[in-house]
Amino acid sequence: MTHPAGGGERRWALAILGALALLALLPVAVPREDVINFVFLILLSITLAQSWNIVAGYAGQVNLGHAAFFGLGALVARTLWIGGSPIALALAAGPATATLFALLIGAAAFRLRGAYFAIGTLALGEILRTTVGNVLAEISTLPTETIAAYRLTHRYYLALALAALSVVAVAVLAGSRLGLGMQAIREDEEAAEASGVGALRLKLIALALSTGLAGLAGGVFAFYHISYYPAHAFSPHWTFDALLMTFIGGVGTLHGPVLGAVLYVVLKEYVALRWVDFHLLIFGALFIAIVLLLPGGLVQAAERARRLLAG
Amino acid sequence: MNILAQQLVLGLLIGGLYGLAAAGLSLVFGVLKVLNVAHGELIMLGGYAAFWTVALLGLDPFVSLLLVVPLSLLLGVGLYWGLFGFVVRADEETRIKNSLLIGFGLGLALHALAVLLWTADERSIVTPYGGSIRLAGLSVPIVRLASLLIALALIGGLHLLLARWRWGKAIRATAEDWQAALLTGIDVRRAYLLAFAIGTGLAGAAGTLVSIGYSTSPSIGLEWTLKALIVVVLAGLGSMLGTFVGGLVLGVAEAASAAAFGGPYREVVGLVLFVVVLVVRPRGLFGR
Amino acid sequence: MLEIRDLDAAYGDIRVLSGVTLSVGAGEIVALLGPNGAGKTTLLNSIAGLLRPRAGAVRFEGEDLGALHAHLIVERGLALVPEGRRLFGGMSVEENLELGAFAPRARATKAAGFERVYALFPDLYQRRRQLVRSLSGGQQQMVAVGRALMSNPKLLMLDEPSLGIAPRLVRSIMASLAAINRAGVAVFLVEQNVPAALGLAHRAYVLESGRIAGQGAAADLLRDPHIRRAYLGPLAVRE
Repeated sequence: MTHPAGGGERRWALAILGALALLALLPVAVPREDVINFVFLILLSITLAQSWNIVAGYAGQVNLGHAAFFGLGALVARTLWIGGSPIALALAAGPATATLFALLIGAAAFRLRGAYFAIGTLALGEILRTTVGNVLAEISTLPTETIAAYRLTHRYYLALALAALSVVAVAVLAGSRLGLGMQAIREDEEAAEASGVGALRLKLIALALSTGLAGLAGGVFAFYHISYYPAHAFSPHWTFDALLMTFIGGVGTLHGPVLGAVLYVVLKEYVALRWVDFHLLIFGALFIAIVLLLPGGLVQAAERARRLLAG
Repeated sequence: MNILAQQLVLGLLIGGLYGLAAAGLSLVFGVLKVLNVAHGELIMLGGYAAFWTVALLGLDPFVSLLLVVPLSLLLGVGLYWGLFGFVVRADEETRIKNSLLIGFGLGLALHALAVLLWTADERSIVTPYGGSIRLAGLSVPIVRLASLLIALALIGGLHLLLARWRWGKAIRATAEDWQAALLTGIDVRRAYLLAFAIGTGLAGAAGTLVSIGYSTSPSIGLEWTLKALIVVVLAGLGSMLGTFVGGLVLGVAEAASAAAFGGPYREVVGLVLFVVVLVVRPRGLFGR
Repeated sequence: MLEIRDLDAAYGDIRVLSGVTLSVGAGEIVALLGPNGAGKTTLLNSIAGLLRPRAGAVRFEGEDLGALHAHLIVERGLALVPEGRRLFGGMSVEENLELGAFAPRARATKAAGFERVYALFPDLYQRRRQLVRSLSGGQQQMVAVGRALMSNPKLLMLDEPSLGIAPRLVRSIMASLAAINRAGVAVFLVEQNVPAALGLAHRAYVLESGRIAGQGAAADLLRDPHIRRAYLGPLAVRE
């Protein structure tokens, strides 16, 4: 399932960026907090999904510990920011920490293949979550002056910029030699190695990019919430959300994760009944159907539909 | 010293359930090469089946096993025919990857379904009997001891089944080399079905014992899947008895680490062991 | 008994067999010769049901085997001893043999089957509780042949039984196959050890690059100059 970033993907990238540019006008056009919060969530989800997509869709490995990097980014950013650092520094330190951690464990982690990599990273994520939950058990709340100075629109534009960045990053990666090399690994790692593609190096680059974006997303999350439990940012549900959004949209494509993220958040908003994550029941079933029948996700479904209508 | 020994005994008692939980996962993975990460949710469902059997029919909690295990076997048949039977059509590498993903989706769906049906509250089966007996100066809760013995009996039974039963041998043969099994006249799909059903049955049994001695709730799925995975990786594939021992080892290791580093770090030791064994010795401690 | 007509087989996009036509009659021993990579294993796997042919027909006793699953083909009386033996290493000799009688057609005659195999291979009786993993190559080959025999086949197919076996044992295995054939079982033998194969067989085919390149009585083929040059030269003989 190779997706050469040809004209199609580039057009999608421009379309999405255009839509994002329009969304910049949202706080002015619709100055309602609930709407802005809702779109903020979509934007954050887009970044989360795209970041996961880089390792899964382009380097072909299912990383089930993605939440660890989101959480690390949040933790470091939050700690520095509350400690008095300027937000820009805090937001830079988050992804830096996440990527550093990723590279530290990356070489060992990539010794595992396929399912073992997946469950290994899952375990790693849980180790971090449990440890953080024990060490930092208290809720993290912003000091009163910061709450007083809280501007939702700042968070919104940050998330918007990040979403745009993630889309651009994937677009550039997909079209680059690095990206093609990664896709070669995803299709058939041994064959790619044999033809000179340095698999480990490329996988580490993909991991670095992926975790960097995830760490940034975590930082924005930390910047956004007034109070939350630090361990919550390490919860595996962030990973699972990213997985669901990316797969249902279309793993390995540029616009798939975006589509998946929008659909997921919208569904979650309108289908969640009281305490039940009903959207998860639907998405779980949809996910199974997609893995079995339509591995390319909704993107593949749309292409088939278009071809059916055209031909 | 006595407190430590006490903790270790409790760790041993739950370790038996870890072993039982892992046995089902190990059987399915070893035979079908399918990694059902929704195994924990199957355990959860077993727990609920037991809970409702006791609540609605008034059966003795341990007797409910006689109902829950057959129900779980049927569920396994249904899941194989409806879902995992399609996964085994692909080659081994694709199978593992697809089953991981499908198990993931299944787990999410089953979790959400459980919350929808029974709310997120914890349920525990209260036995009319309780108390502890004194063994070697330590206090051993009767209910949990009974659970351990039942788990051991089930594992022993499974071992015999695989060793003596015609289809048990066919299952072992399929696990070693499915093409050779076909050439020997074994209907490999039937072997897959049986293995998957038995694996689910074991999960149901484990779930029952968990809800008797401890508690069940929709969220225990992920936790138990991880426990089972850790034991499978620690013990390796191929031996049910070895898997059981692996479970005991994990239980004791957890208790030891809780005693040494404090309660909250109980979970971490298993996970760390898991990652280390994965990277260093993927075949596990007992596996071939 | 076994009729193959215009068989085409492929792995993915790679065509391995083209228009293969051959037959094995009841009571015959037929050999299939050819160089490495000619497609001999693919042919056997196609007949045994491990691979679906792209075109052509495989008929056994008049019945088309094309759509049958491999285990049902064993039930029809066609057994394959695969290349490399493919035994269940973690199980004993006895268990491997017992599994050979798994198919319904063989279950009733399991005891007789054991007797037959132990009579042919007395060594195995002594080692019947031993794990197959711990046996030598020659002994494993005996178990492999025995396991296939336990299914009470009408036609026994073997893929390179002499591979990796000491010459003395090769003669012994060929003698066993002759004995099996005298007892009424047809034999279809794929072999690179041409002298051994032609010494045993009544007829033989030659498979080269996925096509039948020659056929005839074994004695005639032994004298054929092409065969002698290609397969009986100093590099081809393993004696």
